[in-house]
Amino acid sequence: MSKEKKLYNSKPFDSWKLAKELRANHYREIAESRTDAGKKLLIGGGTESMIGLPAGLGDYVFFGGEPYAASFSAGDPQGAIECMEATESFGLARDLCSYFRNYVGSLLLDRYYFGGPFPKADFYLQTHFCDTHAKWYQLVSEKVGVPYHSTDLLPYRWDETEDGKKQKVEYLTGQLLDAIDWMVKTTGRVYEDELLIQAVKNEFRCTSLWAQCAVLNQNVPAAMDEKSMYSFYILAVLIRHRPEAVRFYEILLDEMKDRVANHIAAVPTERFRLLHDSQPPWYALHIFRYLEKFGVACVGANYEYGLSGGWDYKEGEYLRPAVPPQDRGVPLKTREDACRALAQWWLDYHLLARGIRFSGPGKNNLIVQTIKDWNCDGLMIHLNRGCEGLATGQMEVRLALTEAGIPVMTYEGNVGDPREFDEPRTLARIDAFMESVGLDIIED
Amino acid sequence: MITAGIDMGAKTIKVVILKDGQVVGRSNVFSGFETREAADEAMKAACNQAGVTLADIGKIVATGAGRKDAPYATDDITEVGADAKGIFSIYPSVRTLIDVGAEEGRGIKCSADGKVVDFVVNEKCAAGAGSFTESMARALEVSLEDFGKISMTSDKLIPMNAQCAVFAESEVVSLIHAKTPKADIAKSVHDAIASRIISMVRRIGIEKDVALIGGVAFNVGFVDALKRGLETDVIIPEYPDFVGALGAALSAVEKHG
Amino acid sequence: MAVAISTLDKIKDIVQNRHEYAKEWKARTGRKVLGVFCTYVPEEIAYAAGMLPVRLLGSHEPQDVTEPYLFGMFCPFSRDVLAQGLKGRYDYLNGIAASHTCMHINQSFESWSLHLPVERSLFVSMPSHVQSPRARPFLTAQLELFKTQLEEWTGKTITDEDLDRAIDVYNTNRRLMWDVYNLRKSANPPITGLETMYVALAEQMMDKEEHNQLLRELLEELKTRKLDRNPGARLMIVGSEDDDTEFLKMVENVGATIVVDDHCTGTRYFWNEVECIGDNRLESLANRYLDRSPCPNRDWPARRRFPLIGQMVKDFGVQGVIIIQQKFCDPHEADIPALTAFLKKGGIPTLFLEFDVTVPVGQFRIRVEAFLETIGQEDLF
Repeated sequence: MSKEKKLYNSKPFDSWKLAKELRANHYREIAESRTDAGKKLLIGGGTESMIGLPAGLGDYVFFGGEPYAASFSAGDPQGAIECMEATESFGLARDLCSYFRNYVGSLLLDRYYFGGPFPKADFYLQTHFCDTHAKWYQLVSEKVGVPYHSTDLLPYRWDETEDGKKQKVEYLTGQLLDAIDWMVKTTGRVYEDELLIQAVKNEFRCTSLWAQCAVLNQNVPAAMDEKSMYSFYILAVLIRHRPEAVRFYEILLDEMKDRVANHIAAVPTERFRLLHDSQPPWYALHIFRYLEKFGVACVGANYEYGLSGGWDYKEGEYLRPAVPPQDRGVPLKTREDACRALAQWWLDYHLLARGIRFSGPGKNNLIVQTIKDWNCDGLMIHLNRGCEGLATGQMEVRLALTEAGIPVMTYEGNVGDPREFDEPRTLARIDAFMESVGLDIIED
Repeated sequence: MITAGIDMGAKTIKVVILKDGQVVGRSNVFSGFETREAADEAMKAACNQAGVTLADIGKIVATGAGRKDAPYATDDITEVGADAKGIFSIYPSVRTLIDVGAEEGRGIKCSADGKVVDFVVNEKCAAGAGSFTESMARALEVSLEDFGKISMTSDKLIPMNAQCAVFAESEVVSLIHAKTPKADIAKSVHDAIASRIISMVRRIGIEKDVALIGGVAFNVGFVDALKRGLETDVIIPEYPDFVGALGAALSAVEKHG
Repeated sequence: MAVAISTLDKIKDIVQNRHEYAKEWKARTGRKVLGVFCTYVPEEIAYAAGMLPVRLLGSHEPQDVTEPYLFGMFCPFSRDVLAQGLKGRYDYLNGIAASHTCMHINQSFESWSLHLPVERSLFVSMPSHVQSPRARPFLTAQLELFKTQLEEWTGKTITDEDLDRAIDVYNTNRRLMWDVYNLRKSANPPITGLETMYVALAEQMMDKEEHNQLLRELLEELKTRKLDRNPGARLMIVGSEDDDTEFLKMVENVGATIVVDDHCTGTRYFWNEVECIGDNRLESLANRYLDRSPCPNRDWPARRRFPLIGQMVKDFGVQGVIIIQQKFCDPHEADIPALTAFLKKGGIPTLFLEFDVTVPVGQFRIRVEAFLETIGQEDLF
């Protein structure tokens, strides 16, 4: 990549307004579900897999803990710190997942970041996506005094055998069916399979569409930057099982295609591209703006591209958006079809899940591939003390890249706990890294 | 051509004045809270030594934690960059440069032509090597200089937590209560700090020649522990705490030239 | 004055010279040594394949070698284990095996596989949803995979007889361990917590057949052994991985005896026997591992761990619990508030201590002594 100064055309995204609206609506819906006016079933849990499974129960809204905590720490770092402190008084260690602590703190302080009392769910439905997840809602459901169920997502290892894969699909499918039975028993509601089938189709479509948007960001210059990406990926995280999310990504994809065709850049001075690793420090997103001063565009991360799945990866061959089962003639007529397709979709195409539970060469190779495909000049690793799952294997990634001669920088921080982030030091590191790759701040 | 480098460190401010490639003036002043005054003092002292006035200096570049607020400087360079330039001008054979100051420790991988290939900075868990040494010396009621010296009179190997300064301090208190000889405690502390630094530097790989700079390079106990831990000899420049300022002064030549 | 017990000396010697033991076993038998990363690895199958499974533990020394591979925020134990490998102390291992436990130790396993020479690095995808009936066929199939991998490695079939023999040795071992532990229910236990820890650690490092022999000798000696010490307060240690003998020694020197435990290298290792159902040995093994005393990581949605702890408190007459929390261990940390509340409800005071590979024994002593004083006060009422 040439380091000479550039100036591309740039303009804000039209889709950004719709993204903001959808997100605001979602959090309002959650709050209203607890009032007579908007009363409906509220289910709490993690957003990493089962948010669509309750669809057969009828009208409900899923309150995902991680995006909530991320919003809180982004919008009100001081408030987030108060939550952490409350959690520590309660007896939870400081080094625990900071999303977990922020959420529990909100519950203890009865403070909902989006205003009003903290919404307590009718029941909690979790997936043991990382080794802390199932414990989170066990604690919460005990505190709130409502039923709790969780499934185990044991993703494929990078060197999984075909037999091993089949076993995992069976295990997960069985658990999903059991979870539905449990929900029916707990709520006393009738379960309509057709609603589930619709929800899973939406999920497949949504995540595939977002992956297509992500692929378009391979273009030079990149049409999306980190900050806009965070506004867009979150809808798949929150409501990928809903038709409005599908509609949103169709609109976004069109806009992305248009921007790419017209060379519209997110960062007009883009001359150096970085891939990021792990969640960002939500309360300090301006570090990406700081990078832009050097003409550096952060063009993505496995994190926001892959958080909701949807990637078809064959090591050494391709990394591309997964094709939804409904487009491949996979039968989706029964409850079991839907659960099986969902289990298969997560296990086949949820690369991020693999990186959370299993690191090693598989993760290293995936990151190197991503850097190559997205035309990146380097990697910026957030050594994230607030999320063990995303920090798994980061040192080995760093080693692998250094050995491959790819510039990499690390900075220490915490996804949700502002106390563990040192901004001046981080900016100093960015400066040192920029110096080492020969980039100065672009004078206006 | 006369240039200067000013290193606005966490604890001290150092100035180096270069004239036609030679160091002609140096000064080292405690920063305290009034960094402006300290910087003035440092600049004045260095100019006096060099026999020049401020007006004679063609360009001044700052480095160090406070480089963005450095008076006099019209440009700045990061500590990593300054260190690499500085050491290259004295010992071009250095490939692994270790810089240990009051608050921060750094490891820098240098190329054969003096460029920064890779670098690592201590993470939160292992922070504060220099200031930890000082507070432990105070706990044992010895001067910092003696602390390093007496550590070398012990041949004990009392393990001490090498990751966390808070844990390590707790262990030191335990040892004091158990009436462990000061020399043994001192050795343990130095081994633990050296271990922390070595741990960090291993991330960029240890390749000879290895050099040590920064204020903690004056601590003979630390240097001894470092050499033992690395199992290799370590170059220490004559003025180890000035290498950053030197690098800044050299960068001033490049930017001016 | 208690006579020095030769069996306990032998056991302590093996623990302190674990590498020599393994190397000697290897030279004597000509067979393979398999390093295992967690108690959820189904050792019986490896044993049936003729191998010696050894639990990998740290050395409690500060180290500076793991940072390039494993970020400092992961638990000190997992880094200590990796350090042993990087320092070459386990270079006699033929292979390593891990069972999905937690993200921390998994990384140690991955880094070990990447950077150290091993013939095989095997992984058993141990399910976490042990309370689900779906876990049984899943784990059984995983064990079938593991068995096939071992057969492919050794070039030999593992027969039903091999499995039966291994299961029998392991079951006997577990039974004998409980025989030793049950002696600690008495008012004046003939074996201290520290001594028992050595026994449990030796168990994880030795050929179980040889350990069984030592256990039988030990049980014989314990029949007439009387300890010349006041047992003091009866304590239980609960927590993550713990093999800190220095700490236990200190606690038992200030007026207490550790009478039972719930932690990774204690009762959780030998908790339950394999109950053979019909002909399916692997299914029986799967049941054993799913039904054992759970790691918190596997203790959901219902809490099965606490009632087990409660039962041990009752059976062993425990007066106080020391919670040994390995720094940075998330799953155990998440349980702390609920565990403390559970014990408090049962009238059992707790002392929480955070552990690293080295601990400030002096500071801990002060806290333990204060804790013992509060237990003494409880007794008045």
